[in-house]
Amino acid sequence: MFRYALRALLAHKVRLLLTVAAITVGVAFVSGSLVLSDTMGRAFDELFAGLAKGTDVTVRAQSNDPGASLPGQVHPLDESIVETVRGVSGVASAEGSVTGFALILDRNGQPIQPGGAPTLGGSVHRDPALALAGGFSYRAGRAPAGPDEMALDAGSARKAGYVLGDRVRVVFPDGTGEFTVMGLVGFGDTDSLAGATLASFDTATAQRLLGKTGKVDQVDVRAEASVAAVELRDRISQVLPPGTQAVTSEQVSGESSKTVRDGLGIFTTVLLVFAGISLLVGSFVIWNTFAVLVAQRRREVALLRAVGATRGQVLTGIITEAVLVGLVSAGFGLGAGVGVAVGLRALLSSLGIEVPATAAVVEPRTIVTALLVGVLITVVSALVPAVSATRVAPMEALRSATPVSGRIGRVRTATGVVLLAAGTAGLTAAALMQNQLALTGVGALTAFAGIVVAGPQLARGIAAVTNSGRPGGGWSLASRNISRVPRRAAATAMALTVGLAVVCAVSVTASSIKASAADLLHAGNRSDLILRSVTNTSGMSPAVADIIKRQTGVDTVVEWRYSQARVNGNVGNVVGVPAADLGRVVDLGIATGSLADFRDGTILLSTSQARELNAGVGDSIKVTFPETGQRSFQVAATFDLDSLVGTGQLLSLNDYAANVTSRLDDMVMIKTVSSADTPAVRSRISHALAGYPNVLISDPNEFVRTEQASIDQAMGLVTALLALSIVVAALGIINTLALSVMERTREIGLMRAVGATRRQVRGVIRRESLLMSLFGALMGVLLGTVGGVALARSLPSVPTLSVPIESLAVYVLVAAVIGVLAAIGPARRSSRVNVLKAISAD
Amino acid sequence: MIPNTLTSTTRNQARAGSTGRQVAARVEQATKTYGSGTAAVVALDAVTVDFNVGNFTAIMGPSGSGKSTLLHCLAGLDRLASGRAFIGERDLAGLSDRQLALLRRDRLGFIFQAFNLLPVLTGRENITLPCDLAGRKVDGAWFEEVINRLGLEDRLSHRPHELSGGEQQRVAVARALVSKPEVVFADEPTGALDSRTGAQLLGFLRSAVDELEQTVVMVTHDPVAAAYADRVVFLTDGRAVEELQSPTRESVLETMKRLGD
Repeated sequence: MFRYALRALLAHKVRLLLTVAAITVGVAFVSGSLVLSDTMGRAFDELFAGLAKGTDVTVRAQSNDPGASLPGQVHPLDESIVETVRGVSGVASAEGSVTGFALILDRNGQPIQPGGAPTLGGSVHRDPALALAGGFSYRAGRAPAGPDEMALDAGSARKAGYVLGDRVRVVFPDGTGEFTVMGLVGFGDTDSLAGATLASFDTATAQRLLGKTGKVDQVDVRAEASVAAVELRDRISQVLPPGTQAVTSEQVSGESSKTVRDGLGIFTTVLLVFAGISLLVGSFVIWNTFAVLVAQRRREVALLRAVGATRGQVLTGIITEAVLVGLVSAGFGLGAGVGVAVGLRALLSSLGIEVPATAAVVEPRTIVTALLVGVLITVVSALVPAVSATRVAPMEALRSATPVSGRIGRVRTATGVVLLAAGTAGLTAAALMQNQLALTGVGALTAFAGIVVAGPQLARGIAAVTNSGRPGGGWSLASRNISRVPRRAAATAMALTVGLAVVCAVSVTASSIKASAADLLHAGNRSDLILRSVTNTSGMSPAVADIIKRQTGVDTVVEWRYSQARVNGNVGNVVGVPAADLGRVVDLGIATGSLADFRDGTILLSTSQARELNAGVGDSIKVTFPETGQRSFQVAATFDLDSLVGTGQLLSLNDYAANVTSRLDDMVMIKTVSSADTPAVRSRISHALAGYPNVLISDPNEFVRTEQASIDQAMGLVTALLALSIVVAALGIINTLALSVMERTREIGLMRAVGATRRQVRGVIRRESLLMSLFGALMGVLLGTVGGVALARSLPSVPTLSVPIESLAVYVLVAAVIGVLAAIGPARRSSRVNVLKAISAD
Repeated sequence: MIPNTLTSTTRNQARAGSTGRQVAARVEQATKTYGSGTAAVVALDAVTVDFNVGNFTAIMGPSGSGKSTLLHCLAGLDRLASGRAFIGERDLAGLSDRQLALLRRDRLGFIFQAFNLLPVLTGRENITLPCDLAGRKVDGAWFEEVINRLGLEDRLSHRPHELSGGEQQRVAVARALVSKPEVVFADEPTGALDSRTGAQLLGFLRSAVDELEQTVVMVTHDPVAAAYADRVVFLTDGRAVEELQSPTRESVLETMKRLGD
């Protein structure tokens, strides 16, 4: 049977071409994601290992909550610890270092934005062995020394066009400074640390600039040659004060790697989900191809059976074909995957996420996964057609006429309708009940299963609707061709349904989030101006709020600081705000208690958080801070609009500052005096903040638009990732059309003989394509919209529902265009059918 | 080789003139070659034949004699290498692919040996297909007439796979006739039928000519089928070598035997 399978495969290689392409795309996506993830993981491992080289032991403050702390969230140590560590025998050198916020400005005074990565300022060590550890090296110049000098990461220098000797302005938490660039820093082969900008100074200067005079964030220690790192760590640990710990550099780089790899893991999972979607789409294409191949070979199979092949042999033959197709496709996909990884990496770097360079890593796991996925998907998809081939009776070899319409079992239709109804009911219930994420998922999958099962009947229904007008007309013929093989039409359409359903669901959700953002702000905001840092992640100097308070026309200034902390066991955002002024800039929608009771020692809880913690007004809530450990606060009030402020717990700014060292404000809300002209106040503030170019001033409407723009960006990224599955679906349509044109050569020849023009023949194929793509799109848009509504209603902080009718209409239109484009090749082929050859009896 | 093609044509033209009959289709010096160089096969070699309106003509000849090629070239399905083909007054050589398609649709009818019908269409829809392709209304009275004669009244709603072979061919005949074509071309229409069903079908074609004033050109290799025609044109090696008027099975067989020698 193997030889038969191979021969059959070669005989149909052209027909299989598009199928192979469909699987290849999916497998390439999977292997590309894995290769990228492994490559990035290895690159970061190398980077961190390199950075830790030269340092043997690091002394740092112990986090009170390692699970909740982010880098920089542990409070600094007193500088005296450096001397203590130096005194330990076996220490060759020990130096303190500080890190903090430093925003580098370009020649136009605009911040160099690293796109999500942090903007760092730090100190450099005097001991060359410590300073030039691992990859950290001076590409040009030398280490900075003195209050007027700095070193710049080569990436930022390249972006802004800075060279040695240039004067560069840098924004710090407490002000701005100007320095001469004395050195350009590289990290191994890359120009920056994962895209972050870095301004380096000598230790004393860095301490002063970063507001850490007399403090160090950590102490880096180099051991004498004869002393092992572990041994030195233990010796140092003995002399350390409580709340401080000594760790080996291996542990530090291991922790850093783990953090990055965890992040990469999420990223990889997201990519793999999208890869999975395109594989699912691809499986419909494979199913179709094998169904058609089996249908075309019924007589051949019957002959095999007649001469004595068993059912098992027939099955084995077809499955062998599937395995071969899967292997070939997976092989191509694996190769293409390396290319995909390069493409994804380019996509990342275009978003400003610079990934350290290293050769593409193809782990054995990637190869195994790619081959397994390719083969399994193909075999599973080919299984149903293969089994149907075994049911071919030997007698069929002798019969000539085969009925044109595939029967659809009543049980199948009934099952499909029940599933569809159940799924739709589930989604509707989820939409009505809210916060039913699980029900939404189950409902969407059930409804999709229903569409797949009832698909042939639905396709026939659509065809019945469009089968109007003259029976020999293009629409009529196309509709009937659809309904004669409704399974094939349905499977083809389903390929498009999958991608579009996800796009639509995401689209409805994104639209709802955007509308909710606007509604929430309008419902709760009372401020006139909102300030944020342009880099979004880094915050603003507290000096900014002080400057604004001095401006005329400003009534109230409220600073918002966000930090992670553990509240009764769960890590979440804890916010510090000036308690007395909060009510003047936002209306949180107080549910119980009174805002008047909000003062030092108390906490505001969102109603949902209060419900979760089973706490009410007057109860005591435990909050664990990474720096200071556990503190208790009394619930002053509960509020509804937690979505507006992005947190369920608010503390007074005093309490917050007592537990979090960072004094950077994440947001500043301004209420102008009622008589003041807000634009005038704004321009005064803008003028006064000339020294803080990282501060972005917006009015509430601009603020909402910025929020919405970032949602649009995410939506765009998702759409781009889904585009691949749409491409596969388009391949599927081409495939189905091409196969049916081949099958119908004689019919087409007959039509031409009795007077159909080429154009009419092409028209029929084009209409079939349109019908299939619109059917798929319609199902996808309907399912996606209902699913999206249920999803939006299931998400927290999305009170407003918005269905973007225009976008959905555009998707249908896009599907129609795909349909027309997919038909080009097959239609052309159909119109070139040789009439004489087609009608000559064989 | 007697009588030569030119003489027979001249005689036909003379007769057509004297009885006031028109030429429905005609080829002049029709030549068609397949392949090239030493592998070239001459399918038609300077054939000139007329087909008169209201006449039932059979084209006979052994396999490879060019009879199907002649039919295809006359019907605008294939093009001549040289010479000319006419439907009525219209020279096919100057027509584009689209014009040929429209000509077939509007002015010609076809019956093939097998696979005459589109499987997705019912009997009725197959019959009206050329009209539907043209976006033209079917002449209802004429449709009824044709259907009644062919006895297809209760087969119209069936799909081809639900019809017997004979019924399928009758539907094909109805389709060929329904647009009142100038010429009906039939390519071995009884080739796939048993002799009784075949005889019935030929009877229909005969009556279409006699009673409905249709013009039929039929390719066949069956002397019985040829005997239904008014005239038989014999082809050998791409040339029209012989003609019989009012043929009988015996006279056809005899001619075939003579030509075979």
